[in-house]
Parts: sequence; C-alpha cells; structure tokens
Amino acid sequence: MATAAAAIPHGGGHAEVAARYHDVDPVYAETRDLRLLGFVLFLLSDCILFGAFIFAYIYLRVSAPAWPPFVGGHQLPWFDTSFAAFNSIVLFGSGVTMHFALENWKHLNKRKFNMWLIATIILGIGFLLGQAHEYSVVGISWAGSTMGASFFTLTGMHGFHVFVGVCFLTTLAIQANRGVYTGSKYFGLTAGTLYWHFVDVIWVALFFLFYLW
Amino acid sequence: MHAGTTTTHDAHDVHDHIHPAPEGFIRKYVFSLDHKVIGFQYFFTGLFLLLIAGSFAELVRLQLTKPEGAIMSHNAYNEMFTMHGTAMVWMVLIPLVTGAIGNFVMPLQIGARDVAFPWLNMASFWIFPIAALILFSSMLFGGPHAGWTEYPPISLADGTAGALWCMAIFVIGISSTMTGLNFMVTIIKMRAPGMTWTRMPLFVWATFATALMNMFATVALSAATGALFIEHVFNVPFFDASRGGSPVLFEHMFWFYSHPAVYIFIIPAFGVVSEVLPVFARKPIFGYKMIAFSSMAISILAFTVWAHHMFPSGLAPWLQLPFMILTYAIGIPTGIKVFSWMATLWGGRIHYTTAMLYAMGFLITFTFGGITGVFLASVPVDLHMHGTYFVVGHFHYVVAGGAVMGFLAAIPYWYPKATGRMMSERIGQLSFWLFFIGLNGTFLPMHWLGLEGMPRRYASYIDFAKSNPDAQFWNTFETAMSFLMVASVGLLVFNVLWSIKHGKVAGINPWGARTLEWTISSPPPYYNFKKLPEVYGRPYDYDRPLPYKNTDNELDEYPEYGRVLMPIPTPAAVGA
Repeated sequence: MATAAAAIPHGGGHAEVAARYHDVDPVYAETRDLRLLGFVLFLLSDCILFGAFIFAYIYLRVSAPAWPPFVGGHQLPWFDTSFAAFNSIVLFGSGVTMHFALENWKHLNKRKFNMWLIATIILGIGFLLGQAHEYSVVGISWAGSTMGASFFTLTGMHGFHVFVGVCFLTTLAIQANRGVYTGSKYFGLTAGTLYWHFVDVIWVALFFLFYLW
Repeated sequence: MHAGTTTTHDAHDVHDHIHPAPEGFIRKYVFSLDHKVIGFQYFFTGLFLLLIAGSFAELVRLQLTKPEGAIMSHNAYNEMFTMHGTAMVWMVLIPLVTGAIGNFVMPLQIGARDVAFPWLNMASFWIFPIAALILFSSMLFGGPHAGWTEYPPISLADGTAGALWCMAIFVIGISSTMTGLNFMVTIIKMRAPGMTWTRMPLFVWATFATALMNMFATVALSAATGALFIEHVFNVPFFDASRGGSPVLFEHMFWFYSHPAVYIFIIPAFGVVSEVLPVFARKPIFGYKMIAFSSMAISILAFTVWAHHMFPSGLAPWLQLPFMILTYAIGIPTGIKVFSWMATLWGGRIHYTTAMLYAMGFLITFTFGGITGVFLASVPVDLHMHGTYFVVGHFHYVVAGGAVMGFLAAIPYWYPKATGRMMSERIGQLSFWLFFIGLNGTFLPMHWLGLEGMPRRYASYIDFAKSNPDAQFWNTFETAMSFLMVASVGLLVFNVLWSIKHGKVAGINPWGARTLEWTISSPPPYYNFKKLPEVYGRPYDYDRPLPYKNTDNELDEYPEYGRVLMPIPTPAAVGA
C-alpha cells in the first residue's frame, strides 16, 4: 500500500474533503480487515507471553515463605510506589494523547495530529527514562532473587515493548508526513494506536502486581 | 490506486486480481511467497529431519537390545533420546502436519489464492531451518540430556547445549505462532463466496482448531524456554529451588504449551482422516457438525488439562481431581469423532487405496493410544505407571499411530494434486503394511513391559531384566520390528521421488473427491483459482450434485468407481 497518493493538503472545501474520504480502493478495504484481525491476534498472543511470566511471578510469590524474600539473611526492600505511580501517569497520559492524535487524523487535522503524536513520543521516552531511574534506585538485582527475576524480566519485557512502540510511533510520524496515509487509508496509525494502548494495559497489570499488591 | 478506478466495494473483488507468477529461480523456489511452494519446502525439510530424528530413535532401540546397553555410553544414550524427542516434536511433526499439509491444502480447500500474509508465511518457513540448525548445533557442545521436556534442575547441567536447546525451541515457537496467526486470519476472512462456517471441509476446521492452539499455547512455551534460557545464561533464579525458584513452575509453563502441542499434531491428522474416509467409502461423512465442533472442543479443553502430566510432581490433591476429570472429558469429543468415522465406513463401498489403508490403520492405532491415555488420566494409575514404558507405548501409539499415520494418509491422497502424478499404489501399500506391522510390533510390547515395571529413559535395565527374564527378548523384538518402520519410510521417500517422474498422470480429480482443490488442474496454477468458485453446500454429500458454481473445470464427478446412492432423502425425492 506504500504506493499511495501524495501528501494530504490542509483544509480545503467540503468537496475536497469528501474526495479524500472516498478514495477507498477495494484492495485496501480488504487487506485492512485482514491486517487488523492479524494485528489484534498478534496482540492477544503477546498477552499470553506476559500472562505466562505473570503466572510465574504469582506462583513464585505465593509459594515463597516470605515476601519480599530473604537473601543472605536480609529481607529485600519493597518497591517505591510513589515514583512508579508518577511514571504510570506519564504512560497513561501518553495513551490519552495517542487517542487524540488518531482522532485528529480521522478529522484530517494534520497539525494537531502531529502535535499529539509528538507529545505521545515524548511521554513514551519520559516513561523509559523513569524506568531507567527506577532500575537504578530499586535496590535489588536481576539474578539475586526470585523477586528480582520476576520484576526485571516483566518490566524489562514491558520496557522493551515501550521502546519498540516509540520507534513504531516515530516511523508513523515520518510516514504520515510523507503522505503514506490518507484520510481513509491509515491502517498503520490504527495499528500504532492499538499497540500503544496494549502497552498501557499491560502496565496496569504490572503496576498492580508489583507496586500495589 | 486512485479514486474512482473501482465502483463496487464487494469484499471479494480483491481476489479477482490474479498476480503474475514470479520469474527466476530464487523468487520461485527459494524465497517463494506461494503457499504451495512453501508447503513443499516444509515437506522436504521436515522429511529430511525425520530421517535424522528417526535414526536417533533406531540408535536408542539398538542400545536396548542388551540389558546393560549394547552400543553406547549412558551419556550418549541420554543425548540420543533427548534429541530424538525434541527433533520429532518440534522439527518434524509440527512443521509437517501444520506447515506442509496445512499450507498446501488449506487455502485450496477454502477457494483462496494464497494465505492472508504470504510474507509472514515465508518468514515462518525460513525461521524453521534456522531453529533446526541451532538445535542440532547443540550436539557440538555436548548435547542436551534431560529428555525432550528439559526439566530443570537436570537440564541446567547441560550448560551451553541446554541454552542452545532453549533458543531453538524459542525460535521455532515464533514460527509456529506466526503460522497459526496467518492460518486463523486466512480461514476467518478469505473463504470463497458462499462457504459458510458449516460448509467448510473438515480439514479446514481441523486447521482452524490447530491454528488457535498454535497461536495461544506456543507463546507460553516461548515464555518457558525464554525463562530457562535466561536462567542458563544469566543465572537468574526462576527454577533454582535453592534460591527460592521452583522447578515445578517450569513444568506448569512447559505443559501449558506441550499438552496442546500433542493436539497441534493430532488434530490435522483428524482432519486428513475426515477427508479421506468419505472419499474412499463413497459416502457422506457421518456427523459433519459433531466432528467439526469436537475439533474445537478438543482445542479449547486442551488448555485446561496440562497438569495431568505432573501428577507425580507433588501437585496439591485438590488440583489433581479437576485435572483428572477434565482429562477424561477430552475422551468425549475424541470418542464422538471415532464413532463418526466408523459410521462413515459403515455400509460404504470401500476402496482400499494407500491413503484409505493409512486412514483405517489410523482408526485402529489412534483409538488404542487414546484408550491407554484414559488409563493414564486416572491419578492412581498414573502415579503407578508414570515412569514406565507404558507411557512410552501410549505416547507413540498416539503420535506415530495417530499423527504420523494421518500424515502418511495425506501424502498419497494429495500427492496427485501437488505434482500431477499418482504415487505408486504397489509401493505405497507395501510401505503401509510395513509401517503398520512395525508400529504395533515396536510399541505394543512396551505396554506389558511397562506394566511389569520397566523404567523409561534408562540406558540399561539390568535390575528389571533380573526379575523379568523375557525383558531382553521383548526389547530385541521391538528393535527388530522398528526396522520395518525404517524400511517403510525408506519406501515412502523412494515413492515420493520416483513418482514425480514415473507416476501415472493424475488428471484433475483422480479420487472422485468433492472438495474445492479437486476442481482445479494438477498441479494447481500459481493463482490457484482463475475464477472464484461459489459454494452452495458441504463437500461430502455423495448423493447430490456438486455444490459449486463458477468452478474452473467441469468435474467428472465419479471417474472411476461409479456412483453410489445412499439412502438419504434428496430434495428431489421429498418433492422439494
């Protein structure tokens, strides 16, 4: 689908906008359905990957004699909930901005789309920096205990997903401004939004399991 | 692709674009996007690996001809049966039944021109030989020794070889997941006009049920092997009990995938048998909906029974009971299938072709393996027999007598469609009898040896042979019989290669079958269907006209055998 038309011009009268909406070609209409289903299934299978590690964490935690576990006679520290809560707000906020970005694209408002998308990318990078800070102050190590094993594996996998998401959204921003997508053909943006919301939802589970439980 | 070039938005317009076939050797045969070529690639790669994994099995059998072990060290024996199991499950069976047969047949049967994502399909295939290379390279580092399950803590002693094992399984898991995703989207979205869910051929139902498990179970295996890998490499304590980890946790994560895995390779075999039986009995399949829905029931129940592999691991008693009952429950849909197949044969005019012989052999051996599986589902019986050859016998009846038999039925059945030539019936029937006798001769004695207490996974059985003087006789007998299967596979490979040139020319529909792939030429053209066929009914109603319109060829419906009328009221008979 990369052969698509030239960049979307701004504004324009009603007829022009309508024309931009009616350039649906059936090949696109069909493959969008295929790709959307494929992408949703991919995200569901990714859920199982996180689910398996979350199961491992719950299993290890429930079967441990004490939590946080004792290593070398000392009990490991709890996580700092307040900073993680702040970082969570950053990530959830990026979900909101991504929603606005897609909505503005659908309404052909490209300037606002760019603004919201860049805000999303910045918030995503902010979350990653926050995670890096969290790792440096958390006081446990990956290979030191089952707590560290589950924490760093799960949040690391999630952080990797956020990193991939930031790259994904950056690519989308470049593509959108080069005219790859139009007012009716924007599957890449739909996929990016779905992926970003997926990353948010996974973080809800991780935040609850590590910081609130 | 500008505005206004198309006026209709009908969903099937798209498929009316016929893409030109690629030119050049590499685009045509190596990095091909065509599902048929990819099916062939899976087939030949899988067959090659089958010979390797099978030779490991023969080494294992030769070792057991003497109670103290005949040919190799105990360490080498452990490596051999580990590599045999791993390679057979992930590198041979799953690629052959889902990758080869599924890829070639499924899009043809739903009237599609390719799978939904051809690029993804190509990537799934090329990941597979890479995974196989990683797996076999582990043998250069001493090889894995802990059995195909690679339970920690024993597997953690394998070092680099164990890490490579994890990597190989992780990588092949990605391939499996992508294939599952691709097939699910293809079946949901790309069926020919008029092909409703209950008009799909039963092989497509089976492929759908398999794809569902491929998608959602394989990822759990990726998690298990991924965790084991980071424990190997970074010493992270997931499974190390001395540091708070739990080996039983690995068993849970592993079997959450690996129980569905056995259904991943048995359900396509169910599909093959459901196709072959009505064709060669010249009768409508009995209980179409029950067979289709029981495939789905099996694939959903498969996610709920994994812990029945772990009864001896100290599973809490309150957990044992539900897993036992759920495992029994799987016997119900499986039984429905077996009875439906028997009812399909009942009163049919049976043609004993090679494919039919394999399908009927499947009914016998698979049912036997299924019934011993019900024995093992019972907690007290399982605790007694878990570590014995009874389990080996049961498992091989299901896998060799079920999945492999189904696969072997599929080869002569679809070979004419794939190559345009028939396989030699004479060689085929000889190889069936060799396989059938060899299979029963090899695995049947394992049941009573197991009941007498012969432990599995041991490189020697000196103590057992002391109390059971006939142990060596039976083991030698099994080894001798297993070479009949080797001869059978050799004949199969010969037959496949020989018939490409020398087989009888097949024509469009040599079997008088009624699914859509038999309406196009053999071998099918690059685009499969020139016109998209319209579907008006199920493909099994032998007493009615073909339920298709707009097919590429007018079908000679019953070319060889003549028509058999079944006592089912046709619309004309009841005045409709």
